Amino acid sequence: MTVLAGIGFSAPWLLLGLLTLPILWLILRAVPPAPIRRLFPAVTLLLGLKDDESVSDRTPWWLLLLRMLAAAAIIIGLAGPVLNPSRDETGSGPLLLVLDASWAGATRWSSTLDQIDAQLTEAGRAGRPVSILRLTEPEPTVFQAAEAWRGRLPGLTPAPWQPTEAQIDQTLAALDQVDGGFDTHWFSDRLSFGGHDRLISALQARGGVTVYQSAAPVTAILPATYQDGAIQLSVLRANPGPAQTVTVLAQGRDPAGAMRVLQSTQLEFESGSAQAQIDLALPSELRARITRFELQGERSAGAVTLTDDSLRRREVALIAGTLNREGLELLSPLHYLTQVLIPTADFVEGGLAEVLPANPDVIVLADVAKLSDSEQAGVIEWVEQGGLLLRFAGPRMAASDLGRDTEDALLPVRLRSGGRSVGGAMSWGEAKGLAPFPETSPFYGLEIPGDVSVTTQVMAQPDPNLADRVIASLSDGTPLVTRKALGLGQVVLFHVTADAEWSSLPLSGLFVEMLDRLAVASAAKSRQEAQMQGTVWEPVQILDGFGTLTDAGTLAGVDGVELVSGQIGPDLRPGLYESGKQKLARNVLAEDTVLSPPIWPADVPIRGQETSAETPLAGLLLSLALVLLTIDVIASLALSGRLGLARATAVALGALLIVPDAKAQAPDDTDLALNATQELVLAHVLTGDAQVDEIALAGLRGLVQTLHYRTSVEPADPIGVDLERDELAFFPLLYWPITPDQPQPSAEAYAKLNAYLRSGGMILFDTRDADIAGFGASSPNGRKLQQLAGPLNIPSLEPVPRDHVLTRTFYLLQDFPGRYSGTEVWVEAAPPDAEQIEGMPFRNLNDNVTPVVIGGNDWAGAWAVDGNGQALLPVGRGYAGERQRELAHRFGVNLVMHVLTGNYKSDQVHVPALLDRLGQ
Amino acid sequence: MNAAQTLRERSEAEASRLPPLLARAEHLAGTVLLGDHGRRRSGLGDDFWQYRPAQIGDSRRMIDHRRSARGDQQFVREREWQIAQSIMLWVDQGASMRFASDKALPTKADRARLLGLATAILLVRGGERVGLTGTTLPPRRGNAQIIRLAQAWSEDSQADYAPPEHRAMIPHARAVFVSDFLGPLDEVELALTKAADRGVRGVLLQVLDPSEESFPYTGRTIFESVGGTARHETLKAADLRDRYLDRLAARKDALTQLCRATGWQMGLHHTDDSAQSALLWLYRALDGGVQ
Repeated sequence: MTVLAGIGFSAPWLLLGLLTLPILWLILRAVPPAPIRRLFPAVTLLLGLKDDESVSDRTPWWLLLLRMLAAAAIIIGLAGPVLNPSRDETGSGPLLLVLDASWAGATRWSSTLDQIDAQLTEAGRAGRPVSILRLTEPEPTVFQAAEAWRGRLPGLTPAPWQPTEAQIDQTLAALDQVDGGFDTHWFSDRLSFGGHDRLISALQARGGVTVYQSAAPVTAILPATYQDGAIQLSVLRANPGPAQTVTVLAQGRDPAGAMRVLQSTQLEFESGSAQAQIDLALPSELRARITRFELQGERSAGAVTLTDDSLRRREVALIAGTLNREGLELLSPLHYLTQVLIPTADFVEGGLAEVLPANPDVIVLADVAKLSDSEQAGVIEWVEQGGLLLRFAGPRMAASDLGRDTEDALLPVRLRSGGRSVGGAMSWGEAKGLAPFPETSPFYGLEIPGDVSVTTQVMAQPDPNLADRVIASLSDGTPLVTRKALGLGQVVLFHVTADAEWSSLPLSGLFVEMLDRLAVASAAKSRQEAQMQGTVWEPVQILDGFGTLTDAGTLAGVDGVELVSGQIGPDLRPGLYESGKQKLARNVLAEDTVLSPPIWPADVPIRGQETSAETPLAGLLLSLALVLLTIDVIASLALSGRLGLARATAVALGALLIVPDAKAQAPDDTDLALNATQELVLAHVLTGDAQVDEIALAGLRGLVQTLHYRTSVEPADPIGVDLERDELAFFPLLYWPITPDQPQPSAEAYAKLNAYLRSGGMILFDTRDADIAGFGASSPNGRKLQQLAGPLNIPSLEPVPRDHVLTRTFYLLQDFPGRYSGTEVWVEAAPPDAEQIEGMPFRNLNDNVTPVVIGGNDWAGAWAVDGNGQALLPVGRGYAGERQRELAHRFGVNLVMHVLTGNYKSDQVHVPALLDRLGQ
Repeated sequence: MNAAQTLRERSEAEASRLPPLLARAEHLAGTVLLGDHGRRRSGLGDDFWQYRPAQIGDSRRMIDHRRSARGDQQFVREREWQIAQSIMLWVDQGASMRFASDKALPTKADRARLLGLATAILLVRGGERVGLTGTTLPPRRGNAQIIRLAQAWSEDSQADYAPPEHRAMIPHARAVFVSDFLGPLDEVELALTKAADRGVRGVLLQVLDPSEESFPYTGRTIFESVGGTARHETLKAADLRDRYLDRLAARKDALTQLCRATGWQMGLHHTDDSAQSALLWLYRALDGGVQ
């Protein structure tokens, strides 16, 4: 294939035909235009006249040009032009395909695979041995036949990390094993990484390097942080370019437990900036449900950030034994706790009885000795379901008999009476410091400041299980913090007070860290290495390169320090980690990550990764030629003065050239409005079932006929209305037959229907199944009716009472049969205070028209008539059937009368009084 | 379908065309009568003949109010003509007449028939006997003759250029020839000389389309007669214009010469002019001849 400026030709020799164009020009110029035939009666006078000279009239230059263009278009079109032809650059020798295979390319991974596939095919054709090298998972380089690699292509997936230095070293070592030179095609993800330069120089030393990279920008989202009551989201991009808008979706479980998008927000990259930021203020309930943020339209691990406890504010109930006294804030036993927890937790106010139903995460009891029995039982139940009860000792606890003889359910240990005091003026010995935390302690790894001292504590009874329950002790070995599990929860006792009376522990930073380790205060700040010291975190779920969470399986636990500060790689995968009760998310991007595009040496050719698909242009050019020739025809006709003919031709050609839109334009709204308002019109809802719609229309036609014969209501022909499209306000009555499979109307349609009902419209729902089902949810139609009517604003209903105005608006009726008879017909319920007045035949019922009438008697079926006025469907048998049809018609008449006259007949309730007044 | 049926159908179709033509002709004739051309001037045949009750079709102008005022009935006062003149009409029915250069213009045939019929109506109102040249429709008086004339003119002739009918000319009668006179000149010459031989004098009205006067054509053109019998091809029509116009002028000249020699009057009418002016001219020319 010959390629000229991005356009290739499958038959380039045909282009020589273009050389004939000048000759064609001369010929076309010389040929006179076609003669025009004219009728001319005076031709007799012309006979015998000779032309002066035989000079042909010249064709206008623009017509010639048009024809030339058409000819050129045909020639070029036949030469088979192809836009963006696939260029075959068959090299020789081994070919190394290097893939970044990092998360940054995951979004476009399938197109990358397509391109690799194409290259493999090409290499296979050329017989070149190929090796594929993934930088994120380096393997020894083995050159194989291309076909062997093609089979392995689907198995290649991007890794959720960038190539690390170690992996580059590994790659370089693997390359060193290869003898001889090779060409390299490098599929880059457009992100630079450490060791990039080394690798490229190593590759260039072995042969030619071509880089394929996509033009699409790489965007990634930073971990969400929580600050000042708002979630801060930052999105990075590698190539700061023009202004750009990205959408971030917050995903989480809805109350029903299904994953869904809870919030979506848009971020604006300003022109030239690499980072966009937004503060997202969400209600804490919603915030607690968010499990991940992701960039819409991206499908990579970098475009996903998982959230952990840090976004979740724990609910803490603080309950103190002594009441706060005004003005003594600093003496409050809860003061230090409040200071520690305020940045990270929500407080639940109130006493124990009020707090328990709120199900807080943590209940802190500061120096509370005695709980009532019911409180005790409630707290135990709450702890057993996973609550954390944090107790602090104090003078009251020390003075009480709590846990003296037997172990209290809500205390980890038995206590000795009185407690002890050390290092005071009246005691022997020094104030005690803290002993190093044992390895089994949750506090293991925390650094103990030297100035923490304990002067008073409550003492534990030396029980056999005491040693297991101590998680922090003083330097003399007496327990400082004890803990026991209770059900799914735990009870923790600090053997000192929560204020600075007994120890300086609440004054130190250690107190904060200890609470943090106990998951009382969740870390809103980024976790410090010191805090993570000595912890081991178990991966629960990990992200793959595409940003999908998968089960972690048997991956090994990760050291806490490594988890927060290590580089994401094969050993530290991004995902959710768990340690005890705490959850921590490790995301692909750390907060200080900067994305930067790779810098390639100048001599490396860079190709776009988007393979612009081959576009054959032949069809386009040939159609152009056709259009030009059509114009030529019209122009020639215009020149020869026969444009009248030309017009007809143009219309015909236009009809040929322009494929008419199959779907005619929707009938104008104004048509409907005009039809519906010129006269009274009854309408039925189009269900989409042609047969039902037809019967409904025929039924309304029959009803209209009956109304014409018997009443002064003379409606025009009925209309079927489409709830989605048509305006409903014109119709006093909508007949709505129910079919099980009709579509649920849209929200807008429901809004319209509700407005219609509010403004005095009436809908007659007909489930049409009274023959097989009692009215209710027992039939498919009934269930569908419930679904359909659910969003409608329908008042409470009741079966038509015997004195309902519907029973006497025109005919006196007591039941309302249609094709079937039997089920009850429901209308708006009478107001509860309606009562029969002495001497009146009717109650003074609803002042308004009932907005709905619901039944299942298939009235339209009974009303339906064909074009000749003959009944379409049989009703019952013989005379009784005809009687039933008659009653159905009467019901229809009554219904329309009811709609049109409202409670007019209801006013007859006053007739006796009126007659009385008239003196009759 | 048998022949009688087709004939019937065709004549029905033709008949349906009549009323408009008649109505237009009546209308045209009415406008002329409004002028100073009443027959009510002193002279021959001005005598009172009888009163007769007014009939449908009588113009209101014809009602004699002096007589009618005596009773409820309306009367028309008829005067006696002592010498009734026979006037023979010939309107070219040839294909060449069925031509109009523009959609807005009537065809020459249409205009010629209109003028012929309007003249006939006027003459019949004046009491003259009107007929066609030739043997098909000898001169008669009365309104029925108008309808017959209209009927006769609603049939097109197939010939491209119809020669003037000159047979069965009544001696000393009047004649009106309406045509474009683009056919062979010797036929016209023959007819006129024959008429002159019999003492028949009359009027020759040439009806031409404006395009035949101006010859607005350019470029390579094939000119065809309407019947398709004659054609002429030229590469540059514009070059022919002057020579064509010369020939047309020569043709008119020859006709005028012929008329002068035979005592006829020659008129020229273009289809883009008003029909009324032509009718006026025609009527005056005939009037002069009748006197």
